[in-house]
Amino acid sequence: MEFLIEFKDKLYETFIVDDRWKELTNGLKTTLLITFLAVLMGMVLGFLVAIVRSTHDKTGKLKLLNVISKVYLTVIRGTPVVVQLLVFYFVIFATVDINKILVAVIAFGLNSGAYVAEIVRSGIMSIDNGQFEAGASLGLSYPKIMMFIILPQAFKNVLPSLANECIVLLKETSVAGYIAIQDLTKGGDIIRSATYEAFLPLIAVALIYLVMVMILTSLVTKLERRLGKNDRN
Amino acid sequence: MIEIKNLCKSFDNGELAVLNGITETIEKGEKVVIIGPSGSGKSTFLRCINLMGRPTSGEIFINGTDILSASEKEVNLLRQKVGMVFQHFNLFPHLTIRENITLAPVKLKLMSKEEANKKADELLVKVGLSDKAENYPAQLSGGQKQRIAIARALAMNPEVILFDEPTSALDPEMVGEVLQLMKELAEDGMTMVVVTHEMGFAREVASRVLFMSDGVIVEQAPPEEFFSNPKSDRLKEFLSKVL
Repeated sequence: MEFLIEFKDKLYETFIVDDRWKELTNGLKTTLLITFLAVLMGMVLGFLVAIVRSTHDKTGKLKLLNVISKVYLTVIRGTPVVVQLLVFYFVIFATVDINKILVAVIAFGLNSGAYVAEIVRSGIMSIDNGQFEAGASLGLSYPKIMMFIILPQAFKNVLPSLANECIVLLKETSVAGYIAIQDLTKGGDIIRSATYEAFLPLIAVALIYLVMVMILTSLVTKLERRLGKNDRN
Repeated sequence: MIEIKNLCKSFDNGELAVLNGITETIEKGEKVVIIGPSGSGKSTFLRCINLMGRPTSGEIFINGTDILSASEKEVNLLRQKVGMVFQHFNLFPHLTIRENITLAPVKLKLMSKEEANKKADELLVKVGLSDKAENYPAQLSGGQKQRIAIARALAMNPEVILFDEPTSALDPEMVGEVLQLMKELAEDGMTMVVVTHEMGFAREVASRVLFMSDGVIVEQAPPEEFFSNPKSDRLKEFLSKVL
């Protein structure tokens, strides 16, 4: 009984006093905003890079763009995301007056784009060459074949991996605190330093991440099932 | 209509010669059947006609246009008029049967969506699969898939259709329905170039049979003469094995 009362007091102390729960809700908003925009940017960039890379592999064109893409992939995938974030904030945008959140979106978006690119490229390459040939034999141009025949199939095939990338990104944004962004993780940390109580705020933060990931996962499973209905070969 | 001059193709930087100088003319309305042992270059030859594979040297003229020096755009335009049916059908699995047929005419702006749908309905009647319009390829049997692939080629109103072993990937009981449809096309006057192992089809439908071996056309004749009176030893030997 005494334990329960003590627990209740701690809950009150941690989240209710001074409206400390707002650190978490505001942090969550920031985390979601950064994740959403970075996912968008990563997807667009990733698809473009994947198309450049696979077009080069299949037709030998776009040499320069392919080289640029390769350098981009090597650098981004070869360095830690925290370092990239710090470089963007303290080096590239050091002298520019720019919103921190925007810096985070650019850093995480560029980072995610590299992983999305490799996922999508593997999806494009996995489509049977007969699909290209069938499109070409009908007189469709390469961009049209890509757009209407290859990409829809490739997208469907890599959807689970793309969703996984979104989930990874959601969790990766937890390092945004390195450039003093008050995201969800930072919110929990602020409460911890105010109350000298680590257990409750950090567990709360972890639970929120976990719930979001579980919701995303179940959404993807549903989507997959709907897309998969049409073509079981 | 199709004029081929001294066509050669090799793979692996000339190490493996597949076509060793083919010269051939195909006129409008002809049904040319190409037979020969595996590895003789039949499919490679057929695939050169619409540039699915690029020849190493030689010339190809379609309706007088030199397609080997044509731009990519011109090649795409030519391909609209040269249909192709593949051994493995290559239907688009993410689209319904109707969309498979209408995709190219609509995206190439040759027809409006309504016109294309109407055309698809007509073609589905023709290939006897009207009830499958809203199905997906995975729900069809092999023979049905190939008939849809033929309908998809026909939707472009091609002047000639190339058939690359259209029945080789089918279960035996489905071969008949596809050959029957091809026979009907032939009777409608379609120009056809067919690579096949179906000697019965060659005998019945072909206006000319070509025998290929080691990358050259060894012998050619109208079917009656081709099968009853082969001249070269190579063809005699081949026919003794397959008939």
